[in-house]
Amino acid sequence: MSIIEIKDLTKVYDAKSLPVHAVNGVNLTIETGEFTAIVGPSGSGKTTLLNIVGGLDDPTSGDVIIDGIKINELSSRQKTDFRMRNIGFVFQAYNLIPVFTSRENVEFIMHLQGKPKDERESRTNELLEAVGLGDRMNSRPNKLSGGQQQRVAVARALASKPKFILADEPTANLDSKSTENLLEIMEKLNKEENITFIFSTHDQRVVNKAKRVITLQDGAIISDIRN
Amino acid sequence: MIPSFAWRNLWRNKLRSFIIIAAVTLGIFAGIFLTAFINGMVNSRIQSIISTEMSHIQIHQSGFLDNDQFSLLIENADSVVRLVCETPDVVAASKRIIINSMVASAETGTGVKIIGIDPENEIKVTELSSKIISGKYIDSTDHNPVVISERLAGKLKVSLKNKIIITVQDVNKNITGGAFRIVGIFRTDNSMFDEANIFVRGTDLSRLTGLKKHEGHEVAILLKKNETDDVTKTLSGLFPNLEVKSWKQLSPEAGYLVSAMNQYMFIFIIVILIALCFGIINTMLMVIMERIHELGMLMAIGMNRARVFAMIMLETVFLSLTGGITGLILGYTAIKYFAKAGINLYFWKEAFSELGYSSYIYPVIDSKTMIITAILVMIAGIFSALYPAYKALKLNPSEAIRTQ
Amino acid sequence: MNDYLKFAWRNLWRNKRRTLITTASIFFGVILSTVMSSMQEGSYAMYIKTIVNFYSGYLQIHSKGYWNDKVINNSLEYPSVKSELSEVKGITAIAPRLENYALASSEEITKGVMVIGIAPRVEDGITNLSKRIIKGTFLINGDNGVVLGSTLAKYLKLDINDTLVLLSQGYHGIGAAGKYPVTGIIKQPSPDLDRTVVYMNLTNCQDLFSAPDRLTSIVIMVRNNAEMPEVKNELISKLGSNLEVMDWKEINSILMKQIDSDRASGMIIKGVLYMIIAFGIFGTVLMMMMERRKEFGVIVAIGMQKYKLSYVLILETVLLGLVGVISGIAVSIPITWYFIFHPIPFTGQAAETMLQMGFEPVMSFSMTPSVFYNQAVTILIFTMIIGLYPVYNIYRLKINNALHS
Repeated sequence: MSIIEIKDLTKVYDAKSLPVHAVNGVNLTIETGEFTAIVGPSGSGKTTLLNIVGGLDDPTSGDVIIDGIKINELSSRQKTDFRMRNIGFVFQAYNLIPVFTSRENVEFIMHLQGKPKDERESRTNELLEAVGLGDRMNSRPNKLSGGQQQRVAVARALASKPKFILADEPTANLDSKSTENLLEIMEKLNKEENITFIFSTHDQRVVNKAKRVITLQDGAIISDIRN
Repeated sequence: MIPSFAWRNLWRNKLRSFIIIAAVTLGIFAGIFLTAFINGMVNSRIQSIISTEMSHIQIHQSGFLDNDQFSLLIENADSVVRLVCETPDVVAASKRIIINSMVASAETGTGVKIIGIDPENEIKVTELSSKIISGKYIDSTDHNPVVISERLAGKLKVSLKNKIIITVQDVNKNITGGAFRIVGIFRTDNSMFDEANIFVRGTDLSRLTGLKKHEGHEVAILLKKNETDDVTKTLSGLFPNLEVKSWKQLSPEAGYLVSAMNQYMFIFIIVILIALCFGIINTMLMVIMERIHELGMLMAIGMNRARVFAMIMLETVFLSLTGGITGLILGYTAIKYFAKAGINLYFWKEAFSELGYSSYIYPVIDSKTMIITAILVMIAGIFSALYPAYKALKLNPSEAIRTQ
Repeated sequence: MNDYLKFAWRNLWRNKRRTLITTASIFFGVILSTVMSSMQEGSYAMYIKTIVNFYSGYLQIHSKGYWNDKVINNSLEYPSVKSELSEVKGITAIAPRLENYALASSEEITKGVMVIGIAPRVEDGITNLSKRIIKGTFLINGDNGVVLGSTLAKYLKLDINDTLVLLSQGYHGIGAAGKYPVTGIIKQPSPDLDRTVVYMNLTNCQDLFSAPDRLTSIVIMVRNNAEMPEVKNELISKLGSNLEVMDWKEINSILMKQIDSDRASGMIIKGVLYMIIAFGIFGTVLMMMMERRKEFGVIVAIGMQKYKLSYVLILETVLLGLVGVISGIAVSIPITWYFIFHPIPFTGQAAETMLQMGFEPVMSFSMTPSVFYNQAVTILIFTMIIGLYPVYNIYRLKINNALHS
């Protein structure tokens, strides 16, 4: 069952003087339960593509249909709301709010959604346990290692019960052990809970674990391999 | 969670926050302390006017205030006094005879206002008796007693027990006079009042001028509280042929003083807040710029514009209010301390007393002013937040989150 | 030296918004303080001018001890003094006066008044009293009549050509009595004077009080305040120890003290304003320092001496202040200029109060340079003090830490 349908997606920068086709007529379908890596050299358009899929940016032409809704046609406020309820994000850095503890970081998204206190609390505990940080719930980010921070980010991304999680270079700042841990958890979540992960990455280790690898070059898909 | 978020954000850069909070504290402290200072000055002047110079309400024959004529008498002044005392909220009333004339000593003479009083009633109405610095107040003993000010005594070169000659015109328009012995010397905070007024016994003055016992020029009235409107109205109705005026009407400059000072202080506080706004805006702008990545992330994960705006607004208001409330607390403490101890501006004693002010200031502030100040601080915070919040909302999350 | 200045100046504008806001705060403070100072100094100048012209004159000569004991027995003999005065340079007018209290009577009523004997032409030259006549005419030399304040005339129910009776004690206690026709009625701005003063010709006054050739005061006018001290000194040396010479400051010492206290209160208000602005400048400097830690590390690492860097940073702070001050002064000059030529009138009760004190009910402004450069000096001092922080910061800078911040 497809949750994301990308139809003829094009994003052009600087249309007047020197047009750059960051994304050039991409067609793509993502289904529930995928563990997909989008790879390609710098400038290939992966970040732009991910931004558009995540509703953070608008295409010049084409559509992104998530669960039947053309998100590129939503207003700015509607997009924000959509992201809050349907999309989880894990960024390369600056994922967490420095003044909140791990627990509060995970709770925050549910607070934005208006979920009642007891539901927030129990789900927070559950999620942080699931990423192996049950004992670090009251620590602030500056007291956690890079890997631990990224794991909290994953817990936070899951907290809103999103349709899928977009991870933009999540392992780029981590050492190999942390990367290993992080990917293990994501894999586990994907297998056991059927959570959809879409990565944009340079990291070979991520590619190795991916079930589908899409390669972009100059804004277009040049290969799409399922393992 | 957003208020907690905003509050914790303040402390991310402690030094920077402390500087702004210190500035606001200083500004607000100065603002309310000076306001209390001025209030203290004005209050004591007004109290002085009421308790020594003018009382709360005065009654005269119509036209007396404009012309000061000896012949414009209240004919049944005694019964007026009695009726007034029966009116609610009146503490006491007393009748006076007023003549603008001359007083002379062996050395020299000068023009004064001679006030003939009923000692028993007058004591209940004014506090002049407490301003006697040597000798005593007028009572029912002594022959032709007079009480003059220290300043006037100096001018006339007389002292206690000396005699002075009062020259007046009697009811038949003949010039007459009498010798009066100084039984008491007073000093108030108002040099002009001191120099211009002397007090004798009403009955002595009536006898000298041929006035009838129950006649008088003025009835002075002391009330329980400083609100005079109701009683003035009642009394005007009670005595339709006489002029009933409150101290504010008798001395509009005094009433003006209160409102003028209030205005100046209000403007002062506004000016301080505007000066503070510059610093607050700058600080918050820096704060926003530093947190671009975080803001981008927040907007990406779904914090909508309204919430981002609220967070920044709250942060700014917390910043301002922390300083504001600290300033209010410090100011209040200082005011309470000096309200008891008093501030002595002895080096300006002369200058102040020429204008009628005591050089001892007892600052005073009411809770209404403090609350309004706190609200103004909040408004300043909200206003300062507008531009930084605008800059934050204009951010594009996808650009802001980029780590390059 | 020029290079440092250029460097400092460019650094300031790296973050345009922040620098602009800080400069704006200084600009704001300078304008407010300047306008306030200008208003204060302007009103003081007006008070002094009014008092000097209308009552006290620049200098007064009395018999020694008269000022502390203003009785007619302390009067001076004019003729001897007069000849001395003619030799003193710089005097523009000499107005002799004889003042004493008297009881004034009309047909209806009696009141205590202050009788002032004047030489009408000279006196008018100084005080312009004749312009305030509302009925009848002012005194002329040789006139036997009196001029009363309007309130006094009303009280005594006297009109032009009515008779005023004066009774008093004259020189050495001799009884004084006289009858005088009312020549003119004058409206004095000060209500106090309007209800107590009676003007008459000096010779008549001297007759009334049995004080021939005697005066209680001689008012001396000079060209301007700058010339006054010299004239005063000359008078003191010429006139001997029986006479006292007082300048307008001594005569109006209480007004001077009032002005002092008002000035002080103004300084407190300006002080608070500047302190707040100084905090703002400090905050800005602090933020600048924090941002550029790495850059400072690089600069010192590649070989610039710390003290030179400190110097640049002090320059930046001072320039920050200067821009605000100069722009503030540049704008406040035309503002005060405008108000000098279009004074703001007081209305309502404020106007009443001003009139009561005898002054014109307008807000006067002053353009004396000190009003402007005081602000500049204050801000400069503040910025130099604040500039010490960057110096301290650079002094304590550890290159390695800075490079890796």
